Amino acid sequence: MSNEPLIKVENLKKYYTVNKGIKDIFSKEKTYVKAIDDISFVINKGEILGLAGESGSGKTTTGEILVRLQDTTEGEITFDGHDFMTKSKEEEKRFRKEVQMIFQDPYETLNPRFTILETIAEPLKIHGMKDKDKIYDRVIEVLEIAELKPAEQYVFRYPHELSGGQRQRVAIARGIVMDPKFLVADEPVSMLDVSIRADILNLLKRLRNEMGLTMLYVSHDLSTIKYLCDRIAIMYLGKIVEIGDANEVIDHPQHPYTKVLLSAVPVANPDHKRERIEIDDEVPDQINLPEGCRFSPRCPFVTEACKKCDHTLVERRDKQWSACIYSDEELILKPSTNQ
Amino acid sequence: MNLLEVRNLDIDYVTQEGTLKAISDVSFDLKQGESIGLVGESGCGKTTLAKSIMRLLPKNGVISKGEMLFKGEDIVKKSKEEVRKLRLKEIAMISQSAMNALNPVYTVGDQLIEGIRAHSNATKEEAAKRAEEVFKIIGLEAKRLKSYPHQMSGGMKQRAIIAMALTLNPSLIIADEPTTALDVVVQDKILNQIIEIQKQINSSMVFITHDISVVSEICETIIVMYGGKIMEKANTKVFFKAPYHPYSLGLQNAFPSIKEIGEELISIPGSPPNLMKEQNGCRFQERCPFRTELCQKELPELKEVGEEHLIACHYPEKVNEFREDAKKRETWEGVRNRLIEESVGEA
Repeated sequence: MSNEPLIKVENLKKYYTVNKGIKDIFSKEKTYVKAIDDISFVINKGEILGLAGESGSGKTTTGEILVRLQDTTEGEITFDGHDFMTKSKEEEKRFRKEVQMIFQDPYETLNPRFTILETIAEPLKIHGMKDKDKIYDRVIEVLEIAELKPAEQYVFRYPHELSGGQRQRVAIARGIVMDPKFLVADEPVSMLDVSIRADILNLLKRLRNEMGLTMLYVSHDLSTIKYLCDRIAIMYLGKIVEIGDANEVIDHPQHPYTKVLLSAVPVANPDHKRERIEIDDEVPDQINLPEGCRFSPRCPFVTEACKKCDHTLVERRDKQWSACIYSDEELILKPSTNQ
Repeated sequence: MNLLEVRNLDIDYVTQEGTLKAISDVSFDLKQGESIGLVGESGCGKTTLAKSIMRLLPKNGVISKGEMLFKGEDIVKKSKEEVRKLRLKEIAMISQSAMNALNPVYTVGDQLIEGIRAHSNATKEEAAKRAEEVFKIIGLEAKRLKSYPHQMSGGMKQRAIIAMALTLNPSLIIADEPTTALDVVVQDKILNQIIEIQKQINSSMVFITHDISVVSEICETIIVMYGGKIMEKANTKVFFKAPYHPYSLGLQNAFPSIKEIGEELISIPGSPPNLMKEQNGCRFQERCPFRTELCQKELPELKEVGEEHLIACHYPEKVNEFREDAKKRETWEGVRNRLIEESVGEA
């Protein structure tokens, strides 16, 4: 792993306009859902960054922007030294080759009328490979990397003949067939059974170790993030609230939201007594965001000063940044919120 | 006393391609006040089992053998009308997706009141009062009774479903993945509430999930199912310290934990058996690293290996050896290689 950034995101914003009724259509004042509101981070070469948060935190949107499935509202993204948003056709084609995505639901990402060979060969053909034998060889090669062995037995099958785990492997094989530099995986194991989840996680780990693939792993499951990722970024209502080394963040969370999130993860050990931090479980309205810190209405440590918080990330521990205005030692639990 | 006794239950699904044996020869007891966690992969029969207790199987689902004694009476033999009377009042279900369980064109309150009145003699006012009470218990404001489902968040809707299940203090609650679609903070809170209420009204619970860590936190007993059969039944504490069945050992390896560092996850190679086909021997033998010829021929019976600890394996005495070997990657790699060889052989 080098410390050279492959992707650099600066002040990224993504706002969606909302029309609530006929009045809004004619009014000049627009209301927005701020799905991503001014976030910055880097992903180094050969690194797996985990992106965690509740539904509506903006984690999936971030992933989709990084493969250009969505446009940005504002902000700069550099990919491998190039400006990410250049629109020339050639650049675009090169970019599509180097960045790939794996989706959550392996039952819906594969075309049911394509054989596995056709599915994986399609990107090769689009990018100009014509020789049929070469295409076939390459497909076999990636199927084997994705551990679908013996690969010859899978190439002429259709998706409905495969199990969920096998389909996800096909999706991964298709993702790596162009030898990409960067892969976005959005909840790639949440639809799979526990007994095969580990296989897919180990495969992604291997791709990083052996091919040096850089990855953004989007998930709400902190245990799989801890297993797979080097670093982790926690998002809350469009903001990054904490970012740092995955093990460090999970063992020594600095931001109150990270603490709450971690205290809610069930542990498979009946002797383990979890210390729960209880909070109101309703997420605030995404249109009328609270003043100051977005987590403050639910935060068990909240004070008056939180109204002035602007989510600036502060390095609280070695290479671990938190957007809370307080350090860990300064956080005092409000007695009324925790029962 | 046992609230529910399931005896030698067989459930088939009749399809155009043939009969699928979803549940075969399943027996277990559920004590008053006990909560059982039912875990297993998709297709192992856990939801089918739960639905059959409510007699809510789809039209092609048939209970072909066995009995289910609820408070001493066989649910299987009951008429439609008798079963309808049991539902909600005696046995209530918390279903998986709240979004589909609520009727979008009625307010949540109306749906609750309808349920209460259909299963008791309550007047409209009494029912409304009861609805308010249960909403309070589950942490929803009374004014939410006037909301339509689309005006509520996922967590609120799931709470409303739970409130509905609890209105008549049922003696048995069946919860089918009640928190799967929810965020972890909400999930944690709702699970806690379910358990608290279950203890308060001293009802029994069957809790279905694929997440064994949830079972470890909330259930006293765990049942591990595979291919339509029970593989292991044990006290949760005992199970998580010392599981017996090779499948349980495999599951333990496959589960990432937030507390441990550096442990390597190992999955169980292969996929569950096709229950449309005739099954020979142990259901798990195809993916089991310790199988012998006996396993391929003969179905192991559920045997007691400790106090209220049952397993379906021919080799309970080899458990220490199995536990050691199951921790090693090579053990399971062996299964993978064998499966690949077999598939080459077939082709």
